[in-house]
Amino acid sequence: MQSNNRYRPLKIGDFVIILIFLSALFFIPRVEGKKVRVIVDKEKEFIYPLNEDRILKIEGKIGIIMIEIKDGRVRVIESTCPLKICMKMGWIKNKGEQIVCVPNRILICIEGEQFDAITE
Amino acid sequence: MQLQNRIAHISVFTAATVSLFVIESLIPRPVPGIRLGLANIFILLVLLNYGYKEALLVGILKSVIGSIVIGRLFTPSFLLSISGTIVSVTIMGIAVRYGRGLSLMGISILGAESHTITQVLIISVLFLGKASLSFLLPPFVLLSLITGSITGISAYWLYTKLERKVEIA
Repeated sequence: MQSNNRYRPLKIGDFVIILIFLSALFFIPRVEGKKVRVIVDKEKEFIYPLNEDRILKIEGKIGIIMIEIKDGRVRVIESTCPLKICMKMGWIKNKGEQIVCVPNRILICIEGEQFDAITE
Repeated sequence: MQLQNRIAHISVFTAATVSLFVIESLIPRPVPGIRLGLANIFILLVLLNYGYKEALLVGILKSVIGSIVIGRLFTPSFLLSISGTIVSVTIMGIAVRYGRGLSLMGISILGAESHTITQVLIISVLFLGKASLSFLLPPFVLLSLITGSITGISAYWLYTKLERKVEIA
């Protein structure tokens, strides 16, 4: 059966395709953030630069949440929420990444320069 | 092939595609948006046995009828489904026509990748903003490689079975 052979899996072209997509993964640009914005219950907003190490204590809906900024990265180190999902999300550092703590109504997002909002 | 036969065949494939699409949407999954893309198996078979136009028709019917059945017609997920399908069927059609060195697996991977990349692009542009591309794309591109391979191998297996059946009949 001629046509069967044509479509039999694992031909050279398949590996070329797989390699192309795997290598493309490394070329997807990652934009490192410049600032971190913490929004509490859509009302209060705090903005901190990412290049200064510090530990923030912010009061959320159900308790105090501790956020660490270190080496241009951000994570939640302590939270009063039951599931601790915000703590498990670990470090974030690229523009557009977010940590959310739903019980505390806290949103932490990484942003770029001020003019990004206009150019994009 | 006679026109009536052709219509009957396409209808059977459409029914199979829609069924798989609906069954797959019933399976609970860890993260929304991740699917095996089983319906793509039948779209690939239509593409090989009948042609690009028929495959595109089955793909669009899959999105429309499938969305009606699971109650998501004209929601954002329907928009994602139909645009992803149109792009991926087109890419797979080109791959079948010109990709001499590609097997069904490679063609299926191309389809899966174009499907997800289209959807991620639309999600980023319409809902999340361009910055989300950089962290959405890598996991989805990686997952599509795996799901595309699985559906491609399944489609090849089914293709050989169907061909034997047709010869006997």
